[in-house]
Amino acid sequence: MSFLKLDGIKKAFGDAEVIKGVSFAAEKGEFVVFVGPSGCGKSTLLRMIAGLEDVSQGTLYIDGKNVTFEEPAKREVSMVFQSYALYPHMSVFENMAFGLRMNKQPEDQIKARVLEAARILQIEPLLDRKPRALSGGQRQRVAIGRSIVRHPKIFLFDEPLSNLDAELRTQMRVEIAKLHSNLGATMVYVTHDQVEAMTLADRIVVLRAGLVEQLGTPTELYDRPANTFVAGFIGSPKMNFLLATVTATDGNSLQLSHPAFAGGTLQLRRPAASEVRVGEKVSVGMRPEHLSLDPAKPLLSLSLDLQENLGGSTQIHARAAGEPITMVVPGRPDLSSGDAITAGIEPNNIYLFDESGLAIKG
Amino acid sequence: MRISSGNVLHAIGLCVVIAFSLFPFFWMVAASFKTQTDILASPPLWFFMPTLQNYQDIFADSKVIGAVGNSLIVATSTTALAVLLGAPAAYALARFEFRGKGDLWFWFISNRMISPIVLALPVYMLAMQLRLLDTHLVLILIYLTFNLPIVVWICTDQFKSIPPELEQAARLDGADQFTIFRKIYLPLGAPGIAVSAIFSFIFSWNELLYALVLTRKNVQTAPVVATSFMSGYELPWGKIMATGTVIVLPVTIFALIVSRHMVRGLTMGATK
Repeated sequence: MSFLKLDGIKKAFGDAEVIKGVSFAAEKGEFVVFVGPSGCGKSTLLRMIAGLEDVSQGTLYIDGKNVTFEEPAKREVSMVFQSYALYPHMSVFENMAFGLRMNKQPEDQIKARVLEAARILQIEPLLDRKPRALSGGQRQRVAIGRSIVRHPKIFLFDEPLSNLDAELRTQMRVEIAKLHSNLGATMVYVTHDQVEAMTLADRIVVLRAGLVEQLGTPTELYDRPANTFVAGFIGSPKMNFLLATVTATDGNSLQLSHPAFAGGTLQLRRPAASEVRVGEKVSVGMRPEHLSLDPAKPLLSLSLDLQENLGGSTQIHARAAGEPITMVVPGRPDLSSGDAITAGIEPNNIYLFDESGLAIKG
Repeated sequence: MRISSGNVLHAIGLCVVIAFSLFPFFWMVAASFKTQTDILASPPLWFFMPTLQNYQDIFADSKVIGAVGNSLIVATSTTALAVLLGAPAAYALARFEFRGKGDLWFWFISNRMISPIVLALPVYMLAMQLRLLDTHLVLILIYLTFNLPIVVWICTDQFKSIPPELEQAARLDGADQFTIFRKIYLPLGAPGIAVSAIFSFIFSWNELLYALVLTRKNVQTAPVVATSFMSGYELPWGKIMATGTVIVLPVTIFALIVSRHMVRGLTMGATK
């Protein structure tokens, strides 16, 4: 059995069902990230694994044991809160030692474990300080240290980096990744930041409105999103979508029409072309980083709205027959607002979704 | 530091308020060191030969010593009980959801809405039937009914301001409910507990109406004895003022000690 297993988990607050049946399993040592927009239920799900929220329906297993109704402490999980939740009246040492004291560990053991965690997180000089005398990043380290000392079965992180500034966030992200590989621990991490999800996760669970939209490795989600929601959520900047009409299909190719297409139509080879019918609407998805300005074969006629200089690259905001298109191109192209430009893309990098938003395989 | 006209006005305003509130106190202490003639002098005497006679008189009077002792017993017991019972109740009200919570909350507040004199007679009759008249217990019980709501009220508010994540973190750390209360809520709620303890002590220490109604000879409290000098054919102002000074002293000391816990920002650093 998997190390962490959620089986048909549901959660309702009164009449409002916020988790509508989530099942998934994580192996020992895996780094799983729950990602989704605010209100999708990712934090609630994490808190249910921690035991801080009751499970309305379904079963939860940790290390082969049914812990659905187990007290939080008995689940042997630890949690890093978004707000850190350090005990403000205790020193850093006491904050980290608190859990061990509650578990009645011998004093020398407590000291050894706290010092070890402090060494890993490089907070040894701070052990005597109170949380109020620490910076945001230091508090975050202490919060993580408090988790480490208990040698939990599962580490839970609830948006731990969202209170930090951009630079520190990147730094801590790398440290959490290192920590994961050093400790080999099972970690479940909640974030609304898809960059964190992509960089940290072994596997990502994309949630929306209390349901799992897709579950897979970062590469799988990026390359083969199951639907327009996942396609739009994973990747930055967001994927562009154009709603085109199917004008012709045969066994393994289809023709689409949209006023922005160069020549008005686009011919695509797709083995699953037979799934769609002539006259149907399909969403054509194109990632900004896949679009190029000097294509071998032009695909889109665009008019430029605005360009943002990112230093090494330029983000271009343009319109394709009135619909917004974003591109990221290398260097600094010599363009100005209102210019007519053409963009192209490798046919393999074009994503297709049917009218209900589901990916058309191929 | 730059001194602006706004600052000066602010300082003058503060001095006026301080002078206004401290003057009666000053007059009481000054009068306690005056002879009866100096006290009654008109215009009032600002400079006089201080005398300790009034203090010698009241300390020679076993009634005053006994009364201060009674007041101490009653006020300390009431305050201790009010905090001991009120703080856990406040924790429950601040953090748990249970049926009738709103009603219970209202009941606590409504206790303070009744004018004490309305209950004086019923309480007297109850105490008489229970043979509790003229005992420390009856005063402690009745003061508790007035002080408990204040303690619950202030502490609930204080406990609510403690981030709930701290409790959740402690639960994950393996702390049980009582440990969480003792190790997280009590230390972090200390300012609120201190304020409510001061209120409770001052109320019990100063209370006159019930002390007058429910006591006879044995457990007369200090305010009762102070007023008891105001009978007969003369008003021994010096003794009354000396008793007043002696009465005020313990409360001041208590408030000064406890107020050290009234600091802001105890939960700073807990979150964000």
